[in-house]
Amino acid sequence: MKLGKGSRSAVVVAAVVVAAASGCSTKAPESSGSAEGEAGDVTTDIGVEGDTITLGVLTDLTGVFAALGKDITNANELFWKDNKVCDTYSVELDVQDTGYVPQQGVQLYSGMKDSVLAMQQTIGSPINTALAPEYEADQIVNFPSAWSKTLTEIPGTGVVGATYDVEIANGYDYMFQEGLLKEGDTVGHIYFEGEYGANGLAGSQAVAEEKGLELVEAQIKSTDQDMSAQVTQFKAAGVDMIALTVAPGQLASVAAVAEAQGLDVPILGSNPVFAPGLLQGPAANWLKSHLYVASPVSAFDANPDLLDAYEAEYPDATPSLGVIVGTGMSTLMKEVLDSACENGDLTRQGVLDAFDGLEEADTGGLVVPIRGFELGKSPSLESFVLQPADVPGGAKVAAEAFEGEFAAKIAG
Amino acid sequence: MTQFLSLLLNGISLGAIYALIALGFVIIFKASEVVSFTHGSLLLLGAYSIARLSEPLGFFFGAIVGIAITALAALIIERLIINRLRGAPVISLAIVTIGVDIILLTELIRRIGSDILNVPHPWGGGSVRIGDIGISQNRLIATIVAGVLIALFFVAFKYSSWGVSMRASAEDGETAALMGIRLGRVSALAWVVAGALAGVAALFLVGSPTPGVSPTVYTVALRAFPAAILGGLDSTGGALVGGLLIGVSESLASGYQDQLLFLGRGFGDVVPYIVMIAVLLVRPSGLFGTKELTRV
Repeated sequence: MKLGKGSRSAVVVAAVVVAAASGCSTKAPESSGSAEGEAGDVTTDIGVEGDTITLGVLTDLTGVFAALGKDITNANELFWKDNKVCDTYSVELDVQDTGYVPQQGVQLYSGMKDSVLAMQQTIGSPINTALAPEYEADQIVNFPSAWSKTLTEIPGTGVVGATYDVEIANGYDYMFQEGLLKEGDTVGHIYFEGEYGANGLAGSQAVAEEKGLELVEAQIKSTDQDMSAQVTQFKAAGVDMIALTVAPGQLASVAAVAEAQGLDVPILGSNPVFAPGLLQGPAANWLKSHLYVASPVSAFDANPDLLDAYEAEYPDATPSLGVIVGTGMSTLMKEVLDSACENGDLTRQGVLDAFDGLEEADTGGLVVPIRGFELGKSPSLESFVLQPADVPGGAKVAAEAFEGEFAAKIAG
Repeated sequence: MTQFLSLLLNGISLGAIYALIALGFVIIFKASEVVSFTHGSLLLLGAYSIARLSEPLGFFFGAIVGIAITALAALIIERLIINRLRGAPVISLAIVTIGVDIILLTELIRRIGSDILNVPHPWGGGSVRIGDIGISQNRLIATIVAGVLIALFFVAFKYSSWGVSMRASAEDGETAALMGIRLGRVSALAWVVAGALAGVAALFLVGSPTPGVSPTVYTVALRAFPAAILGGLDSTGGALVGGLLIGVSESLASGYQDQLLFLGRGFGDVVPYIVMIAVLLVRPSGLFGTKELTRV
């Protein structure tokens, strides 16, 4: 049999396409001008029409964090259905799906930026980072559904809770207190490449240095689903705990492999690792007995009213803790907009000034106490610790919001 | 040693699944001279159908119907598009399959949406332990099923009339057609077999240790492509060897990440492509691919 010219070309095409499928790039479009208007004695410019304020939402409805994105967005919508700014302005959301692809996020933002006053939500560290220059140039106040430290460097961007490094360090503190980990132990940390993973890992490294822990690091891509090799590596290294800064799919795999290999150690996760759907899968029992999640938000057992309202509005959904994140960030946005409105300035600059002036923000216990949004600093030093359980949202509060031993030092 | 054996076993079980996908890739290439990039979406279609149908039909019927749907989808692609473009340049056909893949993927990802779909495998998350080495029952069954299916395929390929027809048409399509072999039928059947193999691979890909259907299932096909290419795009035996080689090297590279730090973190992900490039540099037609003979 002969492999002809066409066949050889086919091999080349196949190789090139396969290689190209692993890469992506981002490109930022230029910003454009704004329109001016005035309603009553409150000055407005972009994103306010009559008594309606439009806020943007760049979420993930089809990508790796789809489950979380859907719940956060639903909660945003539910909140603004029942709340008004200054008792006057109703809020509409312009919801767009980025699929967790930064380039998609940049394109969608350029389509909405001339019609939104601020961003109610932008999901994912990579997308927030990609949009940072534009948000800064356009004076956008934005609440990311991501907790990377680099996001605190963007003016107007309000991380809703402690950054990932502080968060996981608080998780370590809990593990030490509960006797699940001790000085000099070995910890295996699996983390995504990019902002999210690097920031979580930084927390582990800081604690490891303080407590003389030996850290075994394993970096993965967000599309990697099978954690067999990493867990095998941890078992060989004799880890006493597994730390995860990944997504729920990888958590499920880690639990399944750890169980299969008899690696009976606790698992500590950054908040995005958990989704209630995991408790319907085969790893459910292992997760219930081994997983601890450091989280900027509380669970439904402490907020039953919110759960009732959400289930009434979305009867088919399985609510995750994203609902609490979404309601928390909308509550913060309302505080900012109310404050700007009281100052008589609902322009982008006015909203940004109100955001910068925010101190000791209170979301009624939904989110950890926010000390204020200062550039380069974690907005909070506290975290909850949650554990999976057969309750709505899939998790119960194991420890109320607390500031761990390492938090202040890491937070700066 | 335990670590090495665990990684090896895991790599072999992963490689067996890659081999199923790569085999489909090779069969299609042999029968219709098309490099098919539809396998990512066919995998996801299989996983999605099985997950959705397992609830009303029960696991076994759900799995059978899900695999049948994947095979049917492959047949439809062949009949509606590939068959009608017969004679078009090979590169155009490859690009067409990329288009079909993107369309199918987009619709499936939209349908999966925010759900985490679980397939209720009767063996669940159970595991088998051999001394200190553990492997999930799902992966063990996958390895056995893949072995049986690949053996059956080789027997059919060698002795059945379809196998003979396929080998004849791959050798020299024109002469085979003159001998009365219906090339269209051979090609259609090849797509059906490839679709069914993708469905079977999907059934095991969404079980322990990677539970649940997520849109990223399609990326597994991106690793099976280099398996098929390094084995030799026209060699069914090559697909098997290529699959195992990629599975084992990926598993070892990820598991010994610390020892390979000088190559950078996340090295395991690029291993399939590095192995592919290295093999192609030494053997441009792949390990078992037929060398091109040119008479001057």
